[in-house]
Amino acid sequence: MVSAMEIYQLLPQAACKECGYVSCMALAVALLSREKKLEDCPSLFDPKYADKLNKLKELLAPLEQASETGLIIHDEKCFGCANCVVACPVNVANDPTGSAIGLGPKSDKVILVIENGVVRCLNPNECRRFGPNRILCNACTATCPSKAIEFV
Amino acid sequence: MGIDLRIITFRDIFQYEAGKKSRFSPEFQNLSAQIIMDKDDMVQLGLKDGQNVCLENEMSKIVVKAIQTDDEPHPGLAFMTNSPWSNQLVKDNINDRIIPDFKAILVQASASNESVTNLAELLERLRH
Amino acid sequence: MAVCTGCSLLCEDIEVALKTGAIEKAKNLCRKGQGHFQALFSDRTVPSVEGGETSLDQAIEKAANILMNAKDPLLYGWSNSSLEAQKVGIELAKKLEAKIDDTSSFCQGQLLERVLKGELPSCTLDDVRNFADVSVFWGADPSNSHPRHLSRFSYYPRGSKRQKGYEEERNCVVIDVRKSSTAKLCSDYFRIPPGGDAEFAEAIIAILDGKMPRFGDKKRMIGLASIFKKADFGAIFPGLGLVYSLVQKMEIFENLVARLNDVSNYKVVPMVGHYNMRGFNELMLDETGYINQISFKNGVHHGSENSVTMAAKSSDACLVVGSDPLSALPFVIARSLAKSQLVVIDPRRSLTTDAAKVVIPSAMSGLESGGKAVRMDGVRISFEPIFESNLLSDEEILTRIMEAI
Repeated sequence: MVSAMEIYQLLPQAACKECGYVSCMALAVALLSREKKLEDCPSLFDPKYADKLNKLKELLAPLEQASETGLIIHDEKCFGCANCVVACPVNVANDPTGSAIGLGPKSDKVILVIENGVVRCLNPNECRRFGPNRILCNACTATCPSKAIEFV
Repeated sequence: MGIDLRIITFRDIFQYEAGKKSRFSPEFQNLSAQIIMDKDDMVQLGLKDGQNVCLENEMSKIVVKAIQTDDEPHPGLAFMTNSPWSNQLVKDNINDRIIPDFKAILVQASASNESVTNLAELLERLRH
Repeated sequence: MAVCTGCSLLCEDIEVALKTGAIEKAKNLCRKGQGHFQALFSDRTVPSVEGGETSLDQAIEKAANILMNAKDPLLYGWSNSSLEAQKVGIELAKKLEAKIDDTSSFCQGQLLERVLKGELPSCTLDDVRNFADVSVFWGADPSNSHPRHLSRFSYYPRGSKRQKGYEEERNCVVIDVRKSSTAKLCSDYFRIPPGGDAEFAEAIIAILDGKMPRFGDKKRMIGLASIFKKADFGAIFPGLGLVYSLVQKMEIFENLVARLNDVSNYKVVPMVGHYNMRGFNELMLDETGYINQISFKNGVHHGSENSVTMAAKSSDACLVVGSDPLSALPFVIARSLAKSQLVVIDPRRSLTTDAAKVVIPSAMSGLESGGKAVRMDGVRISFEPIFESNLLSDEEILTRIMEAI
């Protein structure tokens, strides 16, 4: 999992404020939450930072796969156990006769499903971590035996 | 110099999946021919994560990859999946117990420069 | 909906979309089940005798010939076959006056026998989902062995008496020698030293008897006994860790279960591995009064000398059905099997088929052939084939061998 500190260490640390933030640390946090992009830091595109820019691109690449809620699925770690599918409160509420009671989902309003042996995210907008009234629900990550799901 | 280890076999979903795909695949060998060891035990043998370790007892001798545990310390204990590799070391002296000691395999472990024992060699041993 | 025969949970909610020679999309299969289904497309066997490809008829004829002429044949495997195939297998053993045994001999046999004979109280997994507020995994790691156990039945789902979330209404206890994937998820993990299972059980019994435990962290042990006492309905799932540790001291576990039933309601569901091991054990019990390790030579004889681990060395011929003992058994036993007149019925290539004198390819049970099986908790489940295949089922192959003898 990428940390804001790792991102910060690769930024110019010039306090130029061109991105609109007072410090590079603040920008690092914004990059992590995907509110800002690398292009928002013009200094970074100075050739002397080329190495750092490349490293940052590498570091932030996984974040691009994240859904709007910041959910990333690591297929290679997933057991396909469906603990997350069954524990997700939205799945439970929207699918009382399927995932709520441990079976495969019967509703198309669920967020998490198991396909080809691994978990997949549908309808991310339904996730409790989405939208202005979001809460930091962690039902899916807390029930995962292998850290196959994370939020960034 | 070697140390004594007790090996306990366990189930791993990825090793199982690899074995389902093919018993003869490199993935199955990679996930079977490895032993999960305690950090201090590895230090004692001068082993780094992923280096080869020789396991030997009166039944057989094999070389597998040592993987450092992410669990709490368990000196003297090590873990392998049930596979043709771990089964090389399981005693057949079962008498009236019937169940072989799959979870109490006693071996001497030492660092090794030899390559990991491959399936072809295990098959050869089965024929002799 | 299809049934997954990848393990003894026999999940019945599998949806598979097919395209030629592949699975386009599978829904609700866990990683283990996905591996089981994908096995259709790799390492399939062909009929062979002495390593050379033959016709199916020739392979069956040769198999019958070997078994007929053997003095002391062993018929082994069975846990990955339907009830229908197992029935024919038992008839074949009778006809040949052979020894017959299955994987339960070195797996869950000891506990399952007590369950089937009514000596240990048991229940269905549906009861666990609906009523259990305590699930105990003892020397078992279902996340790796039965990946959907926790989500379908024992921890995470809602049930008729368990309408709220698992955090509020269920406790999950793991007792193990290592922090397994399941131990990382449970509410209470107890690490025990290897072989410490008996002392752990005795310590809980002592607390229930009002004494101080002599094992483990006293405060935590008393806390656990208190969880056990307060439970409405507890389910204990013993794995191979417990079975191998207790072997000849299983009465300690029985005592614990009896004591727990004095204070609350506790059931035991052994973590059977293969999809129809329990089915074979039930059929054998009906037929012989024992679940495994039978010789039909001059009547019915039960004993450890008929177990695969013993008989592999004494038998001159062995029929293996749907199992890979050369991978799964200790090397010396595997080598004895490899050197015997080995006949294997298996859909897929394995160490055992590679060493066999005769290989007879079969349809993959549950995927290419239908039938019935018994889930780990005793529920019978029927399944239909989901892939078209010209291959014969285990049942058909065994029937043809019977006819040839």
